[in-house]
Amino acid sequence: MARWLALFTAFIALIVSVAPELHGAETVWSGLVIAENVAQPQPIPPELTRIERPLKQLFGYNQFQVIGQSSKILKTGQEDWLATSKFFGLHVDARGETEAGYVLNLKLYKEKELLLETDTKLSRRSPLVIKGPQVGSGQLLLVLVVQ
Amino acid sequence: MRTFEQKWTAWLDGQLSGSELTEFEASLPDKAVAEAEKANAKKLGALLKREIGAHGLANEEFFSHQLRERIARESARPSGERDGGVSTWWTIRRLLWTGTASLAVFLAFAIFVMHDKNPAEQSQYLTQILNARVDPVVSPNATISMFEAKEDRVTVLWTEGLQSLPADYAAK
Repeated sequence: MARWLALFTAFIALIVSVAPELHGAETVWSGLVIAENVAQPQPIPPELTRIERPLKQLFGYNQFQVIGQSSKILKTGQEDWLATSKFFGLHVDARGETEAGYVLNLKLYKEKELLLETDTKLSRRSPLVIKGPQVGSGQLLLVLVVQ
Repeated sequence: MRTFEQKWTAWLDGQLSGSELTEFEASLPDKAVAEAEKANAKKLGALLKREIGAHGLANEEFFSHQLRERIARESARPSGERDGGVSTWWTIRRLLWTGTASLAVFLAFAIFVMHDKNPAEQSQYLTQILNARVDPVVSPNATISMFEAKEDRVTVLWTEGLQSLPADYAAK
């Protein structure tokens, strides 16, 4: 009886210690979004549904359109990828996995010109929104979400 | 010349002899009563001797004095020592108080540690911006700030003063 109890305890301890490491491959969605105020706003894209309320409250626009996007499945946490539109490019370079998410280096290009660079720890539960340059009457936003 | 009482005492003690003994016994009015009285006096003497001798050997006064001193010392001690035999600081009441106090200190520390740990967990829970920079040549007046909309768990990197672009750049 005592031996079974010891084995059970060891098994539970093993599960508890290993569980945090058992993250499956995760997908990071990165998008280039144009936010505008229009008379007849289009429905918000599904990728942005979970952050619709803060997007509207923080930026004050009623329409959000994705002009470029990329979904990348991260297996090693060292991948890099590019989300592009006609004139913009967002280069994402994953530089490792942390307990909460991923360390990312982001570079926003306008054609070949580097406009903005940032290093972040992207949490699995917390999207990142970057306010880019003014584009016409709207605003370029960069959005990264761990799906 | 001894008186009658002196001779009587000496006769009782058996210290008369010779003619003095003969004369004294002849002077006694009733020799049988006198002999009986002598025998009683001897018994009494033996009894006293025995009792007094025992008193001297037992040294009762000495032990009685020691006993009284010990009782006085015992009376001066706290009741716990007298009752328990082995004296100890850990009485039931003190154990209870010590246990309660230890529990209170533990709870205080636990609450303090939990309270202190929450901000770290919160910050780990939200996306963090480690650093950010813009090209000063392209956007010389640009500023960068960052904040967290904790209610919606969204982290925002807010730029101002980036070069504005025409609407054509919104093309897909």
